[in-house]
Order: sequence, then structure tokens, then C-alpha cells
Amino acid sequence: MSVQKTSPAVGDGWQRGGAQAVRRRVVERLVSVLCYVATMVVLFLLFSILWTLVVRGGAGLSLSTFIHSTAAPGSGGGLANAIMGSCEQTGLAALIGTPVGMMIGIYLSEFDQDGRIVSLVRFVSDMLLSVPSILVGLFIYLIVVEPAGHFSGMAGTLALAVLFVPIVVRTTEDMLRLVPRAMREAAYALGAPGWRVILSICLRSARGGIMTGVLLALARISGETAPLLFTSLGNLNWSTSLNEPMASLPVTIYQYAGSAYDDWVRLAWTGALLITVAVLATNIVARWWLTRNGSAQQ
Amino acid sequence: MNKIIMDDSMVGNTAVSALAISNLDFWYGTNHALKNISLDFPLRQVTGMIGPSGCGKSTLLRVLNRMYDLYPGQRATGQVLFDGRNILSPGVDVNVLRSRIGMVFQKPTPFPMSIYDNIAFGVHLHERISRADLDQRVESVLRRVALWNEVKDRLNTSAAALSGGQQQRLCIARTIATRPEVILLDEPTSALDPISTARIEELLDELKQEFSIAIVTHNLQQAARCADRVAFFYMGELVEVDTADRMFTAPQAKRTQDYITGRFG
Repeated sequence: MSVQKTSPAVGDGWQRGGAQAVRRRVVERLVSVLCYVATMVVLFLLFSILWTLVVRGGAGLSLSTFIHSTAAPGSGGGLANAIMGSCEQTGLAALIGTPVGMMIGIYLSEFDQDGRIVSLVRFVSDMLLSVPSILVGLFIYLIVVEPAGHFSGMAGTLALAVLFVPIVVRTTEDMLRLVPRAMREAAYALGAPGWRVILSICLRSARGGIMTGVLLALARISGETAPLLFTSLGNLNWSTSLNEPMASLPVTIYQYAGSAYDDWVRLAWTGALLITVAVLATNIVARWWLTRNGSAQQ
Repeated sequence: MNKIIMDDSMVGNTAVSALAISNLDFWYGTNHALKNISLDFPLRQVTGMIGPSGCGKSTLLRVLNRMYDLYPGQRATGQVLFDGRNILSPGVDVNVLRSRIGMVFQKPTPFPMSIYDNIAFGVHLHERISRADLDQRVESVLRRVALWNEVKDRLNTSAAALSGGQQQRLCIARTIATRPEVILLDEPTSALDPISTARIEELLDELKQEFSIAIVTHNLQQAARCADRVAFFYMGELVEVDTADRMFTAPQAKRTQDYITGRFG
């Protein structure tokens, strides 16, 4: 740079920053590219998993998958008992877990804000969210399966419900906390007692979010294998009795995928495809529900 | 009303009070937010409350329907006489009290339900009412707030889809549907555009035929336009209360004068 005091030429102002500005532009470009590459890698993995599932699982998909129960290798079995068992256990777990989780969530959000019980319950519930699911299976094994002397669909349902509850607790509490204070006060100002405010105003306002939480929890437990290994075990035959061992898709996949028989391995792929489609569908419904409900509130 | 409280500070002759506050103190925890307030709200008049932010005017409003009860650590002492009883006394049923002293808030707060149900919610809390009577009540309060023609064809659609001004009129309709005697308004137009504001102000003129109204406002012109009497609060104290005319033309206290001429606030 010259020290001479000449008047700068038009356009020289753009040189401001010099090397530093150049470096900033390079770093910015570099970071963008890295982010882009990372995204692509993950997307590629996700779609290659989906693609493999569709190709390999789709190959074994037929009507017989849905109408025949699991059978000995080579005798053309299906997955009917596993599908039924999964539906029954996850469905019942959701039926038990939703009201229990919602009530706990309401308690955490609406009552006794700073009480010791509230912080204890919240702490335990958060712990349960991250506890390895196999521990939940062992826990139910100890308190249900061992005393009863046999594995059962009920034990599997309870294990799934234990995993289900904390997710619903968390979303219920979070969604209720999002209800504006002004809306609560407006209801109280009309002379509404507390329980009416919670039921008619707060829950109604938060229902979209809570519903989403329930669907996400459903998606989460429908893929769980570990807690079912020690509880409902699996069943080779068609059975809807909660008092007997019960088949389920994840456990069937676990057993069949490692087997030496081609048709069992093929069924395992099909089972995996069915679970994935169900979970994907649930997630999409949950998201759609949330956006629809979220926009309706504005 | 059984008990009549004379208020000789009124211009003109005597007037009947809807609410009579005497020696009221209020605390947020240890923060002494209202200091020895005595103030009457004349029957079927609009009483405006003005003052800089944090002066205690909204706090006072929230005492009048015991809204502060919702929050532990907030307490009031003194006397607020309403229909012969001190509403601060523990024996008062706050739900009944709140149905008799309604409140409209700064931001419109439609409930997440239909326009019709927004009004029916409050009515159902306090009355057993036939569907036909309820229909009629909904129509009459919506007409009262000049909303009927705008919403009569979509009573069963979500109240959230209304504009801000419409929502606030719905909130007023919802409040008068429970047939209160007093309506408290906490800066009801501060979130609204000028046209919606004007409509609400017109509405106040109409409503005071039947209800006694207390309105907190930051807008001095609004106080001058709507209120019969104006109370000026400063730092938790009631500095001055007078008719709107006198308050804005010949205030007695220096602090009032400074405030209304814009020297602080």
C-alpha cells in the first residue's frame, strides 16, 4: 500500500478487510460444503436402508404373510401371529400408557409446581426416558414373569407400557406449559374451577401436541425387541391370549434373521419392512397432525 | 344491592358504588405493590385507571376479582366492598365472585374451541340452561358487541380464525354472557389497531348502561374519551381521582400534571 495521499480510485472501498475477508469467505464456503456432505451421507444411508428393506422385504410380501402364522422352515408360514401379537401388545400398552402418562404430565405441569414430589417424579420420569429398554424387560421379568411362572403377552404389554409412559409424561408436561398464562387466567376469570380450566381449556389447547407425543411413543415401542425377549418371549402359533407367551414382529425378526433357513430370513426382511412402514406412517401422521393443529392455533 | 355506599367525592350529586375499596394494601411476596388505596367505582359508570408502567393499576384490577389467588405469595389486606361483603375475606366463593365481576385482558384470549362454545363455556359454569335459551343468549351477547352479523354464519368454526379486534369483542361477549355486574378491562385495546380500538370504545359507552366498568389504560386519550372518572396511580399509590374532564384540564396534584403533560411515564 502506498502512503501517498492520493484520492482513492472509485471501487477501492471493496478491498476493505484484505486477506481477512478472503479467509472469511473461504471458511464460509468450506463449512457450507461440509454441512452439505454430512447431510448427503446421512440421507444416503437412510434411503439405502429403506431401499434394501423394500427390495428384500417386498420380495417375501404376499397375502400368505398376513393370513398364515409362523411355521417350520420350508412349510410356507407367514407372520400373522407376529403381526397380531405386535398390534395387541403395542395397542394395549398405548391404552394403558396414554392415560397414566397424561395424568402424570398434568400433575407435573399443573399442581404443586415447586414441591419435592414433583421434582422427584420428573427426575424419575426423565431417567426412564433414557433407561436401556432391556432393563425394563428384566424388571418386568422379575415382578411379573417369575412370580407367574410363565411368559405372557400381559408381561410384554406392561414392559412396553413402562417405556411408553415417560414419553407421554414429557410431551404432556411440555405442551401444557406452552398454554399461555393469559388463556388460563381468562378461564379462571369466568369463574371456572381449576379442574375445568385444566380439562376444558389447557388439555384442549395442548391436545395436538399430546397426540403427537402419543404417536411418537407408539412408533418408539413398536420397534422394541429387548423388553419383549424376557416378557412375552414369542409364540410359534396364533394366540391372542394375554396369559400365554405372545409372538411379536421384532422378536420374530430377531429369531428369524439369524436362522439358517432362506424362507425364515426372507420373512424377517418382510417383518422389518412392515414395522418400518408402520413407524414411518405413524411419524408422518404425527407431523401432519402437529402442523395442522399448530397452524389452527394462530 | 343491599348496601349502598355513598360517595360524596362524586361530582353532581351522590352516586351508588358498585365497588368500594378502602385501605387496600397488596404485596407480591415482600414487594409492597399497592399502598393504602381507597377508591370507589360508581355504579354504571366507566372508571379509568392511568399511570406509568408498574404503578399498580393492573394489580388493583386483579385484586377486584381475586385473580391474585392463583399465585402463592401474593396477598391483599384491607376491604373491597361488593354487594355488602368484603370480597377479600376468605369465605367468599371466588368462582361466584368472578362470574359477577368479569374481566377482559390485554391480549385477546379466545379459547381453542368454536365461537359458540367460547360463549357457552362461561354460561355452563354457572347456569343450567336449555339449548334454545343458550342459543338466544349467544345471539344477544354477540349482537351486543356488534359481532353477530360478522359471525352468525360461522358460529361453529374456530374462534382462533377471527381477527384480533373480533377476538377481543368475542372475549367481551363471553364475559357479559355470564351476566356480571362489574367488568374489569386490563388495557383491552393495546394489542388492537385504531379501528378496532374505536369500536371497543364505542362498545364501552353502550355497555355502561348496564354494567359498571373499570378500565386500565396506557392511552390517556382513551381515558379522556371513555371514562367518567379517572384515577391516577403512581408507585403503588392512588395520587388523584376525579372526573375525566377535571383530571385532564385541571389536575390538582403536581405528579398528575407532570404525567398527563408527558413529563414522565
